[in-house]
Amino acid sequence: MNAIVCVKQVPDPEAPPASYKVDAASNRMVPAAGVPMVLSPFDEQAVEAALKLKDAQGGKITVLSLGHKLVRDVVKKGLAMGADELVLLEDETFADVDSWSTASALAAAIKKLGSFDLVFCGRQASDWNAGQVGLGIAELLGLPIVTLAKKVEIKGSEARVERVTDDGYEVVMVPLPALVTVTSELGQPRYPTLKGIMAAKKKELLVWKPADIGLTPDQAGRRTQLLRLFQPVRERKCEMVGGATPEEKAVNLALKLRDAKVL
Amino acid sequence: MAIAVGLFSRKVYQLWRYLRLGKADGDFGQMRHRLLVMAGAVVGQVCQWKGLSKRDRAGLGHVFMAWGFFTFVLFYFLFIIIGQGFGVSETLEETSFFFYYAWVMDIAAVFVITGALWGLIRRYVIRPPRLEGEQTLEALVILVTVLTHPMTHLFKEATSIALGHPPAGLGASLPPISAALSNLFSNSSTSLVEAANVGFFWAHWSIVLFVLVFIGYSRYLHMIVSPFNVLFQSPPPKGALRPIDLEKAENFGASKITDFTRKQLLDLYSCVACGRCHVNCPAQLSGKRLSPREVILNLKEHLFEIGPQLLRGRAEAENGKELIGGVVTEEEIWDCTTCRACEQVCPVGIEHVAKIVDLRRHLAMEKSQLPPSAQEALQSLGTRGHPWRGTTATRTDWVGNLGIKPMSEAQGVEVLYWVGCTSALEERSTKVAQATARILQATGVKFGILGSEENCCGDPARRLGDEYLFQTLCQQNIELLKGYQVQKILTTCPHCFHSLKYEYPQFGGNFEVVHHTQFIADLMANGRLKPGGLNSQKVAYHDACYLGRYHDIYQEPRQILKAMEGLSITELARSREKSFCCGGGGGHLWMEEPPEQRVNARRVEELVEAKVDLVATACPYCLSMLEDGIKAKGLESLKALDISELVALSLESKEKKQ
Repeated sequence: MNAIVCVKQVPDPEAPPASYKVDAASNRMVPAAGVPMVLSPFDEQAVEAALKLKDAQGGKITVLSLGHKLVRDVVKKGLAMGADELVLLEDETFADVDSWSTASALAAAIKKLGSFDLVFCGRQASDWNAGQVGLGIAELLGLPIVTLAKKVEIKGSEARVERVTDDGYEVVMVPLPALVTVTSELGQPRYPTLKGIMAAKKKELLVWKPADIGLTPDQAGRRTQLLRLFQPVRERKCEMVGGATPEEKAVNLALKLRDAKVL
Repeated sequence: MAIAVGLFSRKVYQLWRYLRLGKADGDFGQMRHRLLVMAGAVVGQVCQWKGLSKRDRAGLGHVFMAWGFFTFVLFYFLFIIIGQGFGVSETLEETSFFFYYAWVMDIAAVFVITGALWGLIRRYVIRPPRLEGEQTLEALVILVTVLTHPMTHLFKEATSIALGHPPAGLGASLPPISAALSNLFSNSSTSLVEAANVGFFWAHWSIVLFVLVFIGYSRYLHMIVSPFNVLFQSPPPKGALRPIDLEKAENFGASKITDFTRKQLLDLYSCVACGRCHVNCPAQLSGKRLSPREVILNLKEHLFEIGPQLLRGRAEAENGKELIGGVVTEEEIWDCTTCRACEQVCPVGIEHVAKIVDLRRHLAMEKSQLPPSAQEALQSLGTRGHPWRGTTATRTDWVGNLGIKPMSEAQGVEVLYWVGCTSALEERSTKVAQATARILQATGVKFGILGSEENCCGDPARRLGDEYLFQTLCQQNIELLKGYQVQKILTTCPHCFHSLKYEYPQFGGNFEVVHHTQFIADLMANGRLKPGGLNSQKVAYHDACYLGRYHDIYQEPRQILKAMEGLSITELARSREKSFCCGGGGGHLWMEEPPEQRVNARRVEELVEAKVDLVATACPYCLSMLEDGIKAKGLESLKALDISELVALSLESKEKKQ
């Protein structure tokens, strides 16, 4: 079983919202002080899904990441957890990408990597939550895709995927090779062992430039244009509903809710 | 006799070889100090005196037996080796040696008999909780031999007196007990008394020889082993965990009995199953699986079981029984709060906590098998430098309009206030940071903070067994502190205090570190800080483990409370070195606990019993755990405040009056 897992480096999604600011002039997010870079949590779960298959029947896992100035300790986490190879698509042109250009570059890299049984992606990245890259790669490579997987197993030449739905999950069989996007119901990703961390530190990684995967600078750039980036202002008003008795308070509350057209 | 000595020596040699299966310990050093401590524990019986309490006076029984026993051994030595061996017996008869011999042995016998009877009654009649399940044949044999050994001596002497030939050199002053017993034989025929005399003589020496052989097979072993266990105790500071050389070590932590050091194995030999650790362990008392006693006894049994095979060079795995899971369960390993109550009460110097952490180290670093909540805390530590997953605060939010400068902007700083993750990020605890800052400002202390540059000190990582993460954080912090040329550090958290002061020197970080209770007490002592009064209320101080048991800081918090008018201070039933853990140490502040097994609930019950209005703490873990416990019980009349908050309040009330 050979798997490729696409992971993205993002600013810590659990950092306090107050840490984030938008620079209106450049229409960009200001890098927040004291907010560390991490792997997008859904992507960590994608690595975990691949590792579970490797635990069960062996195989090789290649982690693929795209960006500019990637933090080595962050992108190496997949290796520390137990993946075998790490390939970085790292270039200045990848600093400002959209879902389309990301999917195009990753698809080109996957093609270059060659044979594989499964490509795993997180259901969406925790920074912009677009959730399009996995779908894009599948489209570009002509692969069948199963989204929102909570459990993946190999059954012969097919994968059995448990796919989360609104009120439970459905079981899907998909022929290999295929692409699967993973959701948090898969469970907590493993904590890297010290031996894993040490081995990851020593591991040589591959860095590919756009030319290495046959992309012209034009293909590497974005197609969508961001018009305006802003933080919505959230206003909260709190009013205490009065009344002599609990019953009276309840009546007053109901009246207010009706006025506000909630009821 | 030769056979007994032979059997004894053979067993001791076997035990010695088992011990050598362990890893070598480092240098011990400070031998003179160590020997003094050992002498104090053995001759002075400090080991027993320190554990005495109103609830448990059994240690006195041991003191009686031990002192009586030492006297016996001393006279055996003089009598057999010097008297018989060097043939000076007849010369001795001319001195008053036998006079002292007879009198002192007489009294020693009473000592031992008293102790042994007390022991028998306690173990088999009273059956206190700590001896629960310890009514074994082994214990009975030990106590009965302890009892009959001096009794046969007395009767042997009594029959000698009855026969009219007391020990030479006594004259008319017969030893009182033997003389009194001799009256029992006044009406018996001479031949019967003679036979009895011979019988008691042989009975006495048979017991001596039996015990000599039995030592190696029973808890009598502690008589030889535990003095050495005390001698080789880990060097101070108390509770500082041994660092691992991550570059050189081949495996991390302990997963096999041979992964422990020789001192750690000696611990196992020393245990007499007295159960003091068992009845003082907060995990055990709150209904969890862990019993420090069982951990030690199970490890001991495991060593004896597989020792012969290991000596034959067979690998441990061939035995089939895994250490983790088979001998000590994962549940037990994670139950520990590292409060050191077990080590505090252990009379023979057993160090339980480091062994448990060694087992955790294996689980955390080799296996990545951690309780999910502990793993989340560690993951947060690794990525964000703090264990408070999901906090919406930044490290400087608490500063508000207090106008505190970070080190990068501050000048002429007297002391660095190391805020700590909990006081900076956990909403309730930020009030402690604010109160501390106000006290410093009110007294004109020039201080700075690290602000967004501050990292976790690493305590939760180290206690949860992730030594790698601890060392990473520790080294980053040392670099940062050295970069600002920090000399003096003030902490509000005893865990930060312990790490920075006592564990960072292992990695080249030598700073003067003080806890805020020490700092405030100092400010009060030299007149820089004059607290005001508070509303009259009954307060108890809850000793934090990492302040009290770890570093003997008991006075300063109490001095501060005493200095504030209005507070009537009461002591909790468990206080000072016998204080009861809040349940938050050892990473447990971030771990889930079943509601019916919460340590903090027990402690809050003790607060209720003490009928206090307020519990004063000096540790953010304790404050958080006790407040949670109070909330869970819906107690509205009981408040928990940090000592710094009380001082800040008293300063406020003083300002208002002026």
